[in-house]
Amino acid sequence: MSRPTAARVEAAFADAGVHGHLHVRDLDTGREIGVRADDPVVLASVFKVPLLVTFQRMAARGDLSPTEQVTVPADVRSAGPTGVSAMLDDVRLSLRDLACLMITVSDNTAADVLYDRVGGAAAVNATMDHLGLGATRVLGNGRDLHDSLLADAGITAYTDLWPKLDEPGTLARLSALDPARTSHSTPRELTRLLALIWNDEAAPAEGCAAMRRLFGLQVWPHRLASGFPYDDVRVSGKTGTLPTLRCEVGVVEYPDGGRYAVAVFTRAFRPVAVLPAADAVIGTAAHLAVESLRH
Amino acid sequence: MNLVGHLTCFVVVAEELHFGHAAERLGMAQPPLSQRIQRLEKELGVALFERSSRRVELTAAGRLLLDEARDLIARAEHISTLAERAERGAAGTLRAGLPPDLGGAVVAALIAEFGERRPDLRLELREIPTSEQVQALADTALDAGIVRHPCDTRGLALGPMLVQPLGVLLPPAAGPEPVHLADLAGRDLVVFPRTDAPGAHDDLLTACRRHGYDPPAVHEARQPQFAAGLVLAGTAVALAPRAAAPPEVAWRPLAGAPLTWRTSCAHRVGVADREAVADFESVATAVLLGEAAMTPLDTTPARRVVTRPASGFLA
Repeated sequence: MSRPTAARVEAAFADAGVHGHLHVRDLDTGREIGVRADDPVVLASVFKVPLLVTFQRMAARGDLSPTEQVTVPADVRSAGPTGVSAMLDDVRLSLRDLACLMITVSDNTAADVLYDRVGGAAAVNATMDHLGLGATRVLGNGRDLHDSLLADAGITAYTDLWPKLDEPGTLARLSALDPARTSHSTPRELTRLLALIWNDEAAPAEGCAAMRRLFGLQVWPHRLASGFPYDDVRVSGKTGTLPTLRCEVGVVEYPDGGRYAVAVFTRAFRPVAVLPAADAVIGTAAHLAVESLRH
Repeated sequence: MNLVGHLTCFVVVAEELHFGHAAERLGMAQPPLSQRIQRLEKELGVALFERSSRRVELTAAGRLLLDEARDLIARAEHISTLAERAERGAAGTLRAGLPPDLGGAVVAALIAEFGERRPDLRLELREIPTSEQVQALADTALDAGIVRHPCDTRGLALGPMLVQPLGVLLPPAAGPEPVHLADLAGRDLVVFPRTDAPGAHDDLLTACRRHGYDPPAVHEARQPQFAAGLVLAGTAVALAPRAAAPPEVAWRPLAGAPLTWRTSCAHRVGVADREAVADFESVATAVLLGEAAMTPLDTTPARRVVTRPASGFLA
């Protein structure tokens, strides 16, 4: 007989040189597999998921109009390599298209504009409370995280952070990497949030469908999706990335109707920016767990 | 009677002057606490408290005994602590871990110089790889260690980061130095087991490939003599710092120093004997700088990192 799935997931994490957490939930039977699934984990860009839910709920209540046009002036940019963050000139687009960039390419400027628009951490955390997700706490936006990394490391440019990580004590000093001092949740609670979105319970059905569409349009192929290299399987998700931290939460859907919410969080021991094995193990671990739930 | 236990109850009641509050602090019910105080008073033959319906007060005898009781409790706790340390074999001993490939001269210098610095302490050295040291430090089975980076440093305090260039081990008749990594193409590599230090292992193989040497096969060997055997047989090359090179093979530097090891001392945050650990780390760091020809990290150029969108800030 094969080894227990949790042990195989642990072995995959060790092979990839990471410390990992996993929770996978069968959305229809409720069966689940967890590896340290109740430990607090750093949300990183996954904070954009509770933010999106808050946005959709406010839209449903009429507190904001998703088609309202906003201009993001050229001098309003949060650090980041994608979307509006990478653009040089004034950008005019709707609130819901900002949400599209925030989820599909993890655009930090789009996220921070929406964050301010919905009322910041207080509004997002109130949404989580309303949904019964008390372990999920957002403490700041992308700009806050960027500023804290530079301040904690004593540097002025993000690229200087990497060599700094080789120095003793730097990693422990970075509050952005410590779930006790930054936005956090647990893998189990995040699959619960995904279940609410996939079951039309996180917001009215129309809003949940809009959210599912965006997660399905996320561009990154290297993490969760890499574990399911099958034409007939849909992988929707949202990644999170900070130095040594790589994660993704999402839903894997099979043509036979099987639907699995996944949350995988890793912390790599090697402080390098490019680490394909640590990206891929998110898909590998998810695949091991999903396969065992399908048998 | 358990005198220390009863005196502890006495001290807590004396501090709270309230049997209910004292019982709560002691995690016990009020009736057994009252019984213990009564038994203690009987044993000592004096009343410790004056009890009225509204308040509890210390008697003159109680006040007289309070400081002595505190002193006795503290000394009893000290005896327990000493007994625990003696049981762990830790009294007067510093338990330190060393990676297997440090080299004999380095180990000898470490023992000699630590003995000179701390003649009062016995240095118990264990040769164990980085991953096991990290675990042993967390489990308090080790007081200090010397680890290769990168490794899981959560909960550890590190000494200065030291860097050491690796060279290549070749048969004794090897040609002129230095050797370009790409010149090793086509030859197998013998290297320490990945489980010993996964981070350092992966860094090493990544750097080999980055500089044009992608070994057709990688053999894992913990014993330097086994590695030397494969090198002498001409079937493989090995990579090692000069200090750890076995005498029967030739050590050649690599052109451009593309491969380095990072090494530091490590101990658990909140380690018991901070002074002994600090002495070990200062001696070990000096020995690694001298005998092992390591250099401080800040004297080496910062590594170049080009982030990509998928690995960029908050991707």
